[in-house]
Amino acid sequence: MIFDISVMIAGTAGDGILFTGNVLAKILKREGWEVVTYRDFPSNIRGEPTNYTIRASLKKIHGRGDCIDVLLVFDCQAVMKHIKRVDYKGVLLCDGEDVLRLSSYDRRGKTFHEFPLRKLARDHFGDEIFKNMIALGALCHILDLETSIVEEIITKAFLSKKGEKIVQKNIQALKLGCDQAEKIVEPEERHPLKRKKDIDRLLVSGDEAIAFATLSAGCRFFAAYPICPASEIWQWLAKSFPSYNGLVVQTEDELAAINMALGASYAGVRAMTSTSGPGGSLMMEGLSLAGMTEIPIVIVHVQRVGPATGMPTKNEQSDLNLWVYGSHGDFPRIVLSPGTIEECFSFTVKAFNLAEKYQIPVILLTEQDYGQNVRTVKKFDVSQVKIERGKLLTQEELLRIKEYKRYEFTPDGVSPRVVPSMRNGIHMVEGNEHDEKGYREEEAENRIRMMKKRMRKLRSVSKDLIPPKLWGHRKAEVGIIGFGSTFGPIREAMDRLQREGVQTKYLQMRTLWPFSSRKVQAFASSCREIFVIENNYSGQLSALLRSQVNDLPEITSILDYSGLAFRPLDILTAMKKVL
Amino acid sequence: MRKEKDYNLIDPTWCKGCGIYGLSSAFKKAAVAVDLNPEQLVVVTGIGCHGRFNNYLRCYGFHALHGRTLPVATGVKLANPGLEVVAISGDGDAYSIGLNHFLHTIRRNVDVTYIVVNNQVYALTQGQTSPTSQMGYVSISTPLGSRECPFDGLRLALAAGATFVARGFSGEPAHLASLIERGLKHKGFSLIEVLSPCVTHNKINTYQWYKEHIDWSDQNAGYNARDKRMAWKRLLNNKRKFPVGLIYEEEKATYESLVLRDREMPLIHGDLSIDVNALNKILEEFE
Repeated sequence: MIFDISVMIAGTAGDGILFTGNVLAKILKREGWEVVTYRDFPSNIRGEPTNYTIRASLKKIHGRGDCIDVLLVFDCQAVMKHIKRVDYKGVLLCDGEDVLRLSSYDRRGKTFHEFPLRKLARDHFGDEIFKNMIALGALCHILDLETSIVEEIITKAFLSKKGEKIVQKNIQALKLGCDQAEKIVEPEERHPLKRKKDIDRLLVSGDEAIAFATLSAGCRFFAAYPICPASEIWQWLAKSFPSYNGLVVQTEDELAAINMALGASYAGVRAMTSTSGPGGSLMMEGLSLAGMTEIPIVIVHVQRVGPATGMPTKNEQSDLNLWVYGSHGDFPRIVLSPGTIEECFSFTVKAFNLAEKYQIPVILLTEQDYGQNVRTVKKFDVSQVKIERGKLLTQEELLRIKEYKRYEFTPDGVSPRVVPSMRNGIHMVEGNEHDEKGYREEEAENRIRMMKKRMRKLRSVSKDLIPPKLWGHRKAEVGIIGFGSTFGPIREAMDRLQREGVQTKYLQMRTLWPFSSRKVQAFASSCREIFVIENNYSGQLSALLRSQVNDLPEITSILDYSGLAFRPLDILTAMKKVL
Repeated sequence: MRKEKDYNLIDPTWCKGCGIYGLSSAFKKAAVAVDLNPEQLVVVTGIGCHGRFNNYLRCYGFHALHGRTLPVATGVKLANPGLEVVAISGDGDAYSIGLNHFLHTIRRNVDVTYIVVNNQVYALTQGQTSPTSQMGYVSISTPLGSRECPFDGLRLALAAGATFVARGFSGEPAHLASLIERGLKHKGFSLIEVLSPCVTHNKINTYQWYKEHIDWSDQNAGYNARDKRMAWKRLLNNKRKFPVGLIYEEEKATYESLVLRDREMPLIHGDLSIDVNALNKILEEFE
């Protein structure tokens, strides 16, 4: 019986691998399995090697696995590339004959089948495009999946756009793939899956979860510039905002995006922008303006590989410094880091409330792995969505005020806010240093008071922040600290260490700025060994922790900047070297 | 009926004789003419001497970053189209650091009135060459004389598809006021460039110089500002003079009228929370 399986579909960009993989992921989800996908795509549309792995498990999983059990490839180059990752007893289907040239060492313990996908598609349907559906059929046979679910998915995807005839042709191709696979695959090579019920679950990416949360949280203005891997947020909002009187604007650049969102937020609408990589660098200027003018804004930054253009479609965590420290001047900000898809949803809702309650920029820092890959999650609890707009005055409240001051000095640093068009509320919003009414003022005394007022918000916000979460054995002496999408591989590595008799605990940093150094210190002081695990070269989280936490013991950094997310095995191996 | 003093907040402190005084007076005249409610008026300014404009004016004001006036103004207008939104920039703000936004805001035709105070110099930063400084202009940043050709903002605007293109002179506030008034009334993006002498840092382009270099031929009978060919002809005339007046105007759907689902209902109003059942319904696409 199989409990955990990874299927890789590999080929060349343009082969339709994403569609094939997504359908497979959906079938596995419908069969009740936990699903995580992992795309390893080049940043172009056609012509370069690409692969998509669909991992399914009977227990909760959060990230990609160590090995591949079934490899289906559209060209033989891909075989050479991925053969080493195919597990013992793995099955390989290849459209081509070159597999026969693989060394016996590489072939050991694995089964190879020549599977002429293109030829079958051409011969039976007159078009190579049907190769993907034939491939899906073959996978359905190997994994013993219900083809009726695929038929339903195909009908949903194609009927309205392409018509009945195309739907039928695809279903025939699916059946052909199934039949052909039956002819060549031995019964013992199949990986029949145990089925579970699929109740109240979603198959959703982090970007989609964030977009859905954005709509739910009452945001109605979104401005952005297209960039991988954040564009999925935009695409989802562009589709759903119009029904709720919301607006999505494609700006000329990221400078415009953040400034336009600030203009809209100042005028009274909940506003957001999203970006990645170099777009984040361009937004630094506007981030500082948000801090100075105290205009609420939520910025989603889906990290990709830097520096410069880097590797736009690959995974990294190297923009922590950018958002925790970036831009000119001192000003308060909040940086949140969701570690699960559920947290992508709940933290986004929280981000909008924090932004308005504290009139502060809130950054949601995620990664390509969470942004673009889909995962099964429990259906979001939308009844938990509460919209808190903070000190936003009503017209009646404003009329009762003798002299309204936009930047009034208050104990918590947050001043009552009004929006243009309100009577009795005229004021300035100033990027220059200003007085309580917002008018430019450069006197030292005012400057000091105004800086303290703004920075005080960081103290006020502390009670409202999302604390780090402790996982594992409270008494364990081996500690792990990480943030964001390393959550999955860390949890799995911990389980395996547990099986080997090593108890561990893990502090998941969910707010990267500001955070309670006390909690990190308490965690660290109870550990004999501390590992900080992150997807970057320089150990940005370690450096952040060192700068904020006194008496940190020695840290072992486990770093990966290959562009790929960690596998549990990577973490396990690195930790075992020290333990 | 409102009066000019209804827009006064405090006395301005621009240099004595600065062209912006002329603009300030013209702006208030125009505001009175269209009876602008200060509480419905948002003036967004950039960085430069013009940036003080809304610190002296009674209205909702937003002093943005250098070059970013138009994205902010666009955001304000889209969130609440009921507001009168005016953006003010200098030549550096509009044609240098903010040029990308200038062209794209024109392309969108958002109903924002954009006043560009052109003094052909970076005055606030002590007199560097600007993108509208003449070839050969000697300044602290180009002591050997500028070797770059100046931009003509109006030509750029017309080429980008602007629906209202005008130029005034701060030495003629009454004429300028009439242009601003028409700009405020125009539905769509309106550009009003103001030739505005800097008395401190620009000793070349003085009031007298502008008087000699302004082409007033818009007063001529027969000029039709709705004729694009005539507009191009005026802008491309080779007399080394600045054509002033309303150069071009056309009617075209504004961006907000095309993208906002319900123009009567600004994005800022309405109940933000969505019913739980409706949210669950949306989630079905992921099931």
